[in-house]
Amino acid sequence: MTARHFLRRYQREISVAAAYLLLLLVLAIRAPRFFASGEMKDIFVSAAPTLVAAIGMTLIILARQIDISIGAQLSICCIVAGILSQRNWPIPLVAAGTMVAGLAMGAANGLLVAFINIPSIVATLATWVILLQAKKWWNQGEMIKGLAPDFQWFGLNQTAGQWAVVIVAAVLFVLFAAAVRYVAAGRAVYAVGSDAEAARLAGIRPRRVTFTVFAIMGVLTAVAALLAAVRLPHVDPKTGEGGFELQVIAAVVVGGVAISGGRGTLIGVLVGVALLGTIRSALVFLGSQAYWDKAIQGAIILLAVASDAFYRRTQ
Amino acid sequence: MPDTSTTILPYATRPRPNWSAVVASQQAVLAILILVEISIFSFTGTNFFSRDNAFETLRQSLEVGLLAVALTPVIVTGGIDLSVGSLMGLTAVIFGKLWRDAHWPVWLAAAGALGVGLLAGLLNGVLITRLRIRPLIVTLGSFSLFRGLAEGVTRAVDNFTGFPESFTRLGQGYLFNVIPVQLIVLIVISIVFWAFLHRTTIGRALVAIGFAPDGARYAGIPVNRRILLVYVLSGFVSSLAAIVYVAHWGQAKADAGTGYELLAITAVVLGGTSIFGGRGSVAGSLLGWLAIAVLQQGLTLSDLPKELGGILTGVLLIAAIVVNQLLSSFTSRRRGAQ
Repeated sequence: MTARHFLRRYQREISVAAAYLLLLLVLAIRAPRFFASGEMKDIFVSAAPTLVAAIGMTLIILARQIDISIGAQLSICCIVAGILSQRNWPIPLVAAGTMVAGLAMGAANGLLVAFINIPSIVATLATWVILLQAKKWWNQGEMIKGLAPDFQWFGLNQTAGQWAVVIVAAVLFVLFAAAVRYVAAGRAVYAVGSDAEAARLAGIRPRRVTFTVFAIMGVLTAVAALLAAVRLPHVDPKTGEGGFELQVIAAVVVGGVAISGGRGTLIGVLVGVALLGTIRSALVFLGSQAYWDKAIQGAIILLAVASDAFYRRTQ
Repeated sequence: MPDTSTTILPYATRPRPNWSAVVASQQAVLAILILVEISIFSFTGTNFFSRDNAFETLRQSLEVGLLAVALTPVIVTGGIDLSVGSLMGLTAVIFGKLWRDAHWPVWLAAAGALGVGLLAGLLNGVLITRLRIRPLIVTLGSFSLFRGLAEGVTRAVDNFTGFPESFTRLGQGYLFNVIPVQLIVLIVISIVFWAFLHRTTIGRALVAIGFAPDGARYAGIPVNRRILLVYVLSGFVSSLAAIVYVAHWGQAKADAGTGYELLAITAVVLGGTSIFGGRGSVAGSLLGWLAIAVLQQGLTLSDLPKELGGILTGVLLIAAIVVNQLLSSFTSRRRGAQ
């Protein structure tokens, strides 16, 4: 395609990338020690779980659904991982067990949305509350300690472990980015999100696609939980409670995925995750305070969708 | 019976649910549920079945009731407002700041807080109507923004207390020593919203918009203006609920109203309002609110953990929608030729 066509088609992704570069530029000028202090590496490691979850959320939003229960799912997966490790399960089995837990929760959401026809906002609002309250009831906030030694950083030393976390996220990203574009099942997600009835008439099974998308989200949330939990030698059951789902949705929406479904790319989401992850740290380096985090996040979501809508109106 | 959900039948003979029967039967189920709850908790709870406790139940959950009433027209138009709880937090801290730091007289500060609610509702409404962004994502963003602003303004720790007794009477006083003062607020707002939704042409227009937005537009209804109105009203009532909350608890904190949006939406859906829009009932939302209020109070008096209440509320929400769908399909009947 011509250069001009490329620019028009991917204008969202390009503008997000430009915003990211602009941010890095501002940092280079105002706070250059940002780059020297190993902060970038920390950002990548802590953004890895967000990226993995954002992959799943992208699929969900592409399919014209939403899932606001992933914060609670993340919490529960962390707890499951902690408990399995307490029982001295080797880390690969811990990972497998956690993913099964995630799959179960995702499948429950999928069942409610795809087969019982409950709108996803309501269904995931309900499951979010049920999961969160059940977790709180069962674990009053005490840390899960006494984990097997191979839990932290997968049993590797810190540097190798950090690389492992980033590489797992990167590999999953590449796999899904390719699948959603080149594999028929992946394209089916776009089709269902654009027009479910047309997709059905074309031979796709929208219910099955919707169910699968939620199930995948569950598994990816479990992976994200693992990537987040292995950073410490104990498990904090409050992981994921502070608005994880909003962080992920913000990254996806900033990355250009249309909330009405059917449009958007994972590359854009990657830049969105990088941008938002860097903004949080950058604000600290530029002198802002942590208690403005939530406000900034909400403002970013609104700005991103507003600029998208505004731009689309003037097309 | 053949599966007609995906067959294309002539319009007149397509089976259509008898909506008034659906709403009435759902409210009947709800009334029975409330009676069951009261019976169970009268056994398990200490001092549950008493007049004082009845008023106390209403008093404890009153803010949620206000939100449920205000959300009804929003959901009837097919939209949703997830930001009502967070807006309560923002309004509460702004109220506290105006009174304590800017030294406004307390009722002027309250008026200022109501103004904030109107502006917030306006923000939601403008983004939804002018920029045509789905209410879901707009209110998800403002849900985060409002709570975030509240936390930012108070640096996440500040807390406003020491309000004058003339003000806290609103949330802690009793008329004739029995009726909580804030109950009057709920009654007034409920009557206003009932009349608005069920007895005015604007209310009728809202139902039309939820049922078929394009049809409403072709019928000459100013859709954008009507939708803007319901979100502004929602913001106003949220800030009103915040003022009642502050009077009730005697303090204004950034976490006011956390989780209230779920309770309010559950109340509305329990009451027979369709989450897809096109039909709804203020009376139903109040019944739904009662079901939740009794549940929470009953669990507290029975010494059961409040997490159980949260779980049951989530389950109720799902059950309400499923029941609604079942009732719709059961009351379906063919009209016309056959």
